[in-house]
Amino acid sequence: MNALRLLGKDLRLLLRTPALLAILVGYPVLVAVLVALALQGEERRPEVAFVNLDRSGRTVVVGGERTSLDDYVARFADEVHLRPTDAATARRALEDGRVAAVLTVPEGFVDNLVFGAEPPTVELVTSRRSAVRSEAITHRMESAVFRINQGLAADYIGQLLVLADRVVNGGTITVFGVSGEIYGITRSVALLDELRRTLRARGDGDLAQRLDPLEDFVRDTGDNLRLAARAASAIRSPVRLRVVQAAPGREPLSAFGVAGALLVSLGLVGVLLAASAISGEREDNVLVRLRRGLVSPGALVGEKIAFSALAGVAMGLVLLALLAVGTSLAIGRWGLWIPTLLVAGLAFGAFGVLVGALARETRTALLAGLMLALPLIFLGLVPESPAASAVSAAFAFGPAFEAFQGLIVEPETPSDLPLRLGHLALLAAAFGTAAALVLTRRESR
Amino acid sequence: MSGDGQAGEPLLAAAGLTKRYRATVALDGAGIAVREGEAVALLGPNGSGKTTLLTILAGVSRPTSGATTWRPGGVARVGWVPHDPALYGRLTTRENLRLFAALEGAPDPDAAAADLLARADLAEYADRLAARLSTGTRQRLNLAIALAGEPSVLLLDEPTATLSPDQRHRLWAWLDELRTVDGLAVVFSTQSVDEAVAHGDRMVVLAGGRVVFDGDAARLVADHGTPGARDPAEAAFLAVVGADGR
Repeated sequence: MNALRLLGKDLRLLLRTPALLAILVGYPVLVAVLVALALQGEERRPEVAFVNLDRSGRTVVVGGERTSLDDYVARFADEVHLRPTDAATARRALEDGRVAAVLTVPEGFVDNLVFGAEPPTVELVTSRRSAVRSEAITHRMESAVFRINQGLAADYIGQLLVLADRVVNGGTITVFGVSGEIYGITRSVALLDELRRTLRARGDGDLAQRLDPLEDFVRDTGDNLRLAARAASAIRSPVRLRVVQAAPGREPLSAFGVAGALLVSLGLVGVLLAASAISGEREDNVLVRLRRGLVSPGALVGEKIAFSALAGVAMGLVLLALLAVGTSLAIGRWGLWIPTLLVAGLAFGAFGVLVGALARETRTALLAGLMLALPLIFLGLVPESPAASAVSAAFAFGPAFEAFQGLIVEPETPSDLPLRLGHLALLAAAFGTAAALVLTRRESR
Repeated sequence: MSGDGQAGEPLLAAAGLTKRYRATVALDGAGIAVREGEAVALLGPNGSGKTTLLTILAGVSRPTSGATTWRPGGVARVGWVPHDPALYGRLTTRENLRLFAALEGAPDPDAAAADLLARADLAEYADRLAARLSTGTRQRLNLAIALAGEPSVLLLDEPTATLSPDQRHRLWAWLDELRTVDGLAVVFSTQSVDEAVAHGDRMVVLAGGRVVFDGDAARLVADHGTPGARDPAEAAFLAVVGADGR
């Protein structure tokens, strides 16, 4: 009962502190806006300077279609935002950080494409300022080159298949702009067969027999060409990747951003509010009264955890409501969100109370809470190695992030949600118990 | 060491209290007895164990060994007035009193707060935040909060250390009234022998965690006084704790 009275006191003090209240309401708004901007930025193509040193103006004809250098450049422009410029300006822009990379088409590129004297090559120079960004651009450009090569290969093989068909079956063929009729292997075999039969009828069997190897060669050549055509057809259509779009409103990238925003907001507020609430009691010197049997350490710790969890739930609901209104994300299922936010808030609060119980004053508690929470939040977002996953699992941030993300991404109730909530409840109990023990030892001296 | 020097069964008694912090011994077998309506002054140099003894009597900390007992049938409630005011700075005077009255189990916290406001002469500061009160007024609120649990023994840790002479005078007037009118037993620690003589019925002198004197001022001077000393009580106190009193 006394713990409830203290909870009422803390909530009253919270409502009475406009600056803190403004932070609690304003922070999720700020995070929501930043997340929206970050997600937009994710979709924006990086700036790349484009230097074209091939001024030949030549075009390439493949499969009867004429393709210019601009058509190839357009493929790259699908991946990055190209800013045409000269070589010197491009180099300066890269050094100044105004572009992320420089793409150069060297002189003779189209000639190499047409005649194949050397493999046609484009050059990409990336900035050293951001290794991650440079790697992303390199992957994008490699992807573009792969698609160009794939398209060219398909066109060339298509042309080859037409040629093979004409050689086998005969017909009109155009090479380097000159057209002509081809007799074809099938008709050649028929002609040879007819010729042999005519010679035998004339009693010239020896001469007819001498035509047999020629007919065999022509037949074999036709068979081999048909086999080669089938192989070329297979190469023309290699393994392809079919990308199935996620259901509307459940984009994984956006879900990651929103779950991350929730984690940062709730994690920081939960830890810092709980840490400052418990250390505030000590700073007001009130613990010496409360500990006289008015409130047990366990009840006091529970009260502070509940206080920060309630504030976290309110804050989380504000953030989710803003995102539900301002984005296409499907943030329904409020019946699941409330217990998830509450249990996550309890776990964050328990960690914060432990930090506050260990620290001797509020400023130290806040600084320690912030310095501990930030790397742990980061670890919760990207636990890439088994060791990082293990550390992440020992704190509330990783499991909370997975629970948030599951609720946003999964179209049905995530099957592992009870497990995640149980994990969080366990962490809340463990940190809360540790905080009560620390408080008992510290305050009973 | 002298005896308790007063007849009657004590309301609160502690015996053999020892408190150790790792290698440090803060209390070493100390004992004290407090009777109804009595004012006991705890005297001693810094680090002699006064605050430790008070916190053990208040139930704030536990002794390493020894025990505290209440007279059967007596009202076993202490009011604790720590050296630094223990109150919520961002609550008003009334809210502080109401909250602590509720925590102490008052059936009507609002009425209890109104009563304490009147008794502590804090009515004009009722709706002022505690953090904005003057030092003397904060100390009165600190004391009023201690009374919220309707104690039979009031424990005060150097209650006048930070107060001006007029604030001290006002606080002692109220404490004397609480003792004489309401019958509260008062145990206070102080660095001032004069204050102990003026407001204590009895003095308990601590040195090195042990009780080295327990009796009234006349007996202190009679047993340990120095002939011709300008301040006989202070000289006797210094003699008891082992310092040069002349």
